[in-house]
Amino acid sequence: MLEYAYWITQSLLAISVLCATYRVFRGPSVLDRVISVDVILIVVASMFLTDMVINDSQEYIVFVVATAVIGFLGAVAIARFVAVRRPESWRIGSDPQADPGLGGASTAHEPEAPNSEDETAVRRLLQDDSYAAPELQDPEETADPPESQRNTSWFQALARSRAAQQGRGADEDASQDREEDR
Amino acid sequence: MDAAELIGEIVVSVLLLVGGLMSLAAGVGLVRFPDLHSRMHAATKPQVLGLLALVLACAVTWGSWPWVGVILFAWALQLLTAPVSAHMVGRAGYRTKHFRPERLTEDELAAAVDRINRSDSSRKAADDRRAIDGPRA
Repeated sequence: MLEYAYWITQSLLAISVLCATYRVFRGPSVLDRVISVDVILIVVASMFLTDMVINDSQEYIVFVVATAVIGFLGAVAIARFVAVRRPESWRIGSDPQADPGLGGASTAHEPEAPNSEDETAVRRLLQDDSYAAPELQDPEETADPPESQRNTSWFQALARSRAAQQGRGADEDASQDREEDR
Repeated sequence: MDAAELIGEIVVSVLLLVGGLMSLAAGVGLVRFPDLHSRMHAATKPQVLGLLALVLACAVTWGSWPWVGVILFAWALQLLTAPVSAHMVGRAGYRTKHFRPERLTEDELAAAVDRINRSDSSRKAADDRRAIDGPRA
């Protein structure tokens, strides 16, 4: 019976590793990848524990202890230096179609979404109903980004001092978002 | 004797399955959940409870107190370090807007951030005024 439990547990752990790997591959931000890598580390430690149970041995115990000691360092380090999303990437990120994982109910409004400065300028020029319609559908979606950016401007100003060395990472983040937009 | 062994085997099997199911819940949650913070909620399941189940399975199997102490020490370290990383990741995620405000039912931090932002901007305005007035004075 212990054999069956061993194999079932190992397969459950393997499925978990595959799911976490999928999230590492897909994850829209670096923080999602960090927590997924954390989960993978814990699950590998769990695999070693399961193996120790079935073999009645203590050979991997050092790895389990070391995992507990140093496992959080990567997450802390990356969370400390994570790049602030730039405004355009945040705007794309706030679009319900941007992240399929968000399950954004596939509201197919404004397929050729212009950015909001152009949008407001064009609306002011044309007074066109077709541009006003998306805002009527979800006012907070379009009105929110400037508001929330103002709320975190103190942190953005802090992080902009690191923007030079973080620029490449932010670009990758934005391009990832755009890729998911497609 | 035989009955005791059987009971021990059943206990170990159940603990192993609980640990595996916790990890599976974490994996499914990582894939299915929409948001960084909800994914973090799912990801912490195997870190504490799943690991505890597997550690207890090891302890029941080995039946020797020194090794049980070592493995419980590992679990306690995990218990200490998991909240630290969760705190840092959640904080960074909130500050870098890796969440969707309309999905939150309650945003208790928004008021504090707003207050800090306002006092910071007023202080910055005062600094600017002093910088402009300073050379003249």
